[in-house]
Amino acid sequence: MTNRIKKMLDDVLQKKHHQYRQQISENEFTDFTEMLKTKGFSDIQRAKERLTWVLTNEKPVILPLETIVFTKTVTIHPEIFTKDEWTDIKKSHYVHELGRVSNINANYEYTIAHGFEFRKKEVLEAKEKYAAEGKTKEIEFLDAVYQSIVDVEKIVARYAQEAKELGRMDIYNTLQRIPAQGATSFHEALQFFRILHFTLWAAGNYHNTVGRFDQYMFKYLDNDLKNGVLTEESAFELLEEFFLSFNKDSDLYVGMQQGDNGQSMVLGGVDKDGNSAFNKLSEMCMKASLELKLIDPKINLRVDKNTPMELYEFGTELTKQGLGFPQYSNDDVVIPGLVSKGYSLEDARTYVVAACWEYIIPHKGMDIDNITAISMTKLVNDCVDKYLTTSTDFEEFMSHVRHEMAIKLIEITSALGNLYTEPSPFQSMLMDNCVENGKDISLGNKYNNYGIHGTGISTSVDSLAAIKKYIFETKEVTPLQLIDGLKTNFEFDESLWLKLKYDAPKMGNDDDFVDDIAVELMDMFADLSKDLRNERGGVFRPGPGSAMYYIWHANEIGASPDGRKKGEPLSANFSPSLNTKVNGPISIIRSFSKPNMQKIVNGGPLTLELHDTIFRNSESISKVASLVKSFMDMGGQQLQINAVNREKLLEAKKHPENHKNLIVRVWGWSGYFVELDEVYQDHIISRIELEV
Amino acid sequence: MIKGSIFNIEEFAVHDGPGIRKLVFFKGCPLHCSWCHNPEGISFKRELMVSNGSCTHCGKCEAVCENETCVACGKCISVCPLRLRRIVGDVYDVDTLATKLLKGKEVLINSGGGITFSGGEPLAQADFMIALIEKLKPLHIAIETSGHTSEQTFRKVLEKVDLVLMDIKHTDTVIHKQFTGVGNELILNNLKVLCNSEKPFYIRIPLMPGVNDTVENIEKTAQLLVGAKNLLGVDLLPYHKTAPAKYAMVKKEYNPGFDVNQEVAIRTEIFEKYNIKANKL
Repeated sequence: MTNRIKKMLDDVLQKKHHQYRQQISENEFTDFTEMLKTKGFSDIQRAKERLTWVLTNEKPVILPLETIVFTKTVTIHPEIFTKDEWTDIKKSHYVHELGRVSNINANYEYTIAHGFEFRKKEVLEAKEKYAAEGKTKEIEFLDAVYQSIVDVEKIVARYAQEAKELGRMDIYNTLQRIPAQGATSFHEALQFFRILHFTLWAAGNYHNTVGRFDQYMFKYLDNDLKNGVLTEESAFELLEEFFLSFNKDSDLYVGMQQGDNGQSMVLGGVDKDGNSAFNKLSEMCMKASLELKLIDPKINLRVDKNTPMELYEFGTELTKQGLGFPQYSNDDVVIPGLVSKGYSLEDARTYVVAACWEYIIPHKGMDIDNITAISMTKLVNDCVDKYLTTSTDFEEFMSHVRHEMAIKLIEITSALGNLYTEPSPFQSMLMDNCVENGKDISLGNKYNNYGIHGTGISTSVDSLAAIKKYIFETKEVTPLQLIDGLKTNFEFDESLWLKLKYDAPKMGNDDDFVDDIAVELMDMFADLSKDLRNERGGVFRPGPGSAMYYIWHANEIGASPDGRKKGEPLSANFSPSLNTKVNGPISIIRSFSKPNMQKIVNGGPLTLELHDTIFRNSESISKVASLVKSFMDMGGQQLQINAVNREKLLEAKKHPENHKNLIVRVWGWSGYFVELDEVYQDHIISRIELEV
Repeated sequence: MIKGSIFNIEEFAVHDGPGIRKLVFFKGCPLHCSWCHNPEGISFKRELMVSNGSCTHCGKCEAVCENETCVACGKCISVCPLRLRRIVGDVYDVDTLATKLLKGKEVLINSGGGITFSGGEPLAQADFMIALIEKLKPLHIAIETSGHTSEQTFRKVLEKVDLVLMDIKHTDTVIHKQFTGVGNELILNNLKVLCNSEKPFYIRIPLMPGVNDTVENIEKTAQLLVGAKNLLGVDLLPYHKTAPAKYAMVKKEYNPGFDVNQEVAIRTEIFEKYNIKANKL
């Protein structure tokens, strides 16, 4: 790491740039929103006006050592609808999360290659075409896109002016060329990206993913290296500076928790012909992440059966730093899985991950991969109430589970009708076909599929295993005894609770008795989702991810038949239940690769927690790497590994001031431990009680 | 049918031989080293092990107990609401244990790993172990042993395994006896057998401050190894203070017999002088 980067890293960690953040009073925001309403603007116009407002209020900040500029100073963005208007919208529409376009992957490369002048020309051409046809909606949309580009040009001009005044002619000169023209160097391409990414946030879009950076940026790097514009060292320094830029404003982009900001970068994988796409830039990205040890960008690695061991070892070096990434996705499972869900092979090969782990198609996808969730644990609990006393065997009980799951899936998916999402003219400009079609991205694109998280998989599988064993096989427990136990949170039947919690078989031990139930349950989930369609004609993709639902869904139900008491969280994503003593990681990866993972292809990783002492020498690094490879070879879908130390986390909880930089993997992203809500901190601590 | 007593199986051992290994702990050991980290592995008998840390003294275990002194009947285990009690010493027949160990064998094979027998002292159950190895082949098999067994047994086992990790705790038999309960004659004899065999091996030295980390002892240890052509290296395992934790769990007292706060000397340079590769683990 060069001295310049060291100093910049230090400044970022000390949050020195926060001094430039503006305090804007609450009133200004509400006044703005009221103004939009009073003037009777359409939603597209409002979205455009918001971006104009935010960019106009932004103040150019050029930090002393940086060569890639743009730092946010406006920390909060105004709403485009008043509270009352939102209430009205929600009366007749389904609104996902904040009601904004989020969690998709923009086509940065096209605009970076061609520049704004070219893009504006495209917009005008499209406008002409629609004007000739008298299509006012399309024209309104294209006007908004055009205005958004102009707004960005204005702030770029102000940055250039500021650079000139500071005597930073390098920055001034760069901003004279881009974004007006296409980038001609690695540095220009990175600066261009920064402007686009900054603007997406400014426009109110969130979970703005980075995508296959190593693929779309490679040509600029390669050219510069070949032409001697950059050396390997100067290119690496530039890349590190670029990585740092993701950490300047990321605290403003709070998702469900601090750290859940969606700045995911995907490395490796295959090209359009299916050949390995891992390149020099992929490697440099991993090295930069290894050196900087920051939570952004979040590194994801695509692997397949041909991925060399060295790459897994490299990934494990990153894991060793305690960053909670890379997260691995298995192309051999994901690509055919996506194809079976209707994606073209060519598109499936370009897949990236959304904010956490959901697979999305860059440039073309307007999938909403986390739109709904089914609580598998609640489903099993409901079936216990309704059918346990009348079922004659486990098979019959499972047929009821199937029936109830089918009903529930129809119920939750049909509740998503008449979706409303705020228009996003700027994001639309960065998505394929929107300009051409005169249609905002919020209304959909080539892929409009929805994802269903199946939450608490292990908890429900363990519950079913306990039912199978004790109710139907050994008959040690009567249905009424179990029902009573669940109702009373086992308060009057401690021996039942102990049996269920400690003696019952659990998923994660490579025990077919339990794992076969997981296979059946996942197949059921896939089969029953197969024919569901959303209002945009998209399919529903089932997946074993939970996101934050492992806390939310746990609070909706009482005790469960696996001995989990009321209030205790569910298993996160596709991982063993909490407080389950498992044999070890070999058993875990075997259990969690038994279901047909191609069918449940919405994403959802197995989280493996390994004690940090395992990583102490280079030999053990290759052993962990080999474990990861084995999981993929077995047909596992997705994996994240945490190098953890329980004592360290307990200490950090007690003295957060001393552990500001301690990073952990939460549910699908890495964040600073001390910045998490306590409920998530505690979940992580209890998760690693089964650490190896 | 021959049976074996096992007190633990670890699935992902990364410091006990090449690759990913399952580590099988045989219960029972002819030595009782004062610093032993696995006191539950010393006795050949089943034992009750209790983690007292989070015990709330609810009294349920006492209520079901029918014996004056513990006979490891296990009745108290299932009544403990926190499951702080367990019986150590699972008795297996060869087939059952082999099936269990072979689960997920592709993970072991892919990593160039296998299975390591440790303990306790695996050679104290040599017949069971050999029968087990027959069922596990061609997996790579390693043993971690004190070497305290008859030469005949040692040779018989040596033939069956792929790698040996053997301890040398002290070169002076009197001190050896003082700290481990037995003299080192059998061990040093078996060491010669090992040095002259074709079997690759590591020597491991658990370093106890002031006991065996002296220049004199390390020098003598190194001399014993000179010329051993299949010696892959010497691993030095410095004492660390986590050992006492388990003693209370099996109702034993921890008396290491040396000053645990004293710093351990790690004299890799002495081995290097004799051209022997030595690593601190």
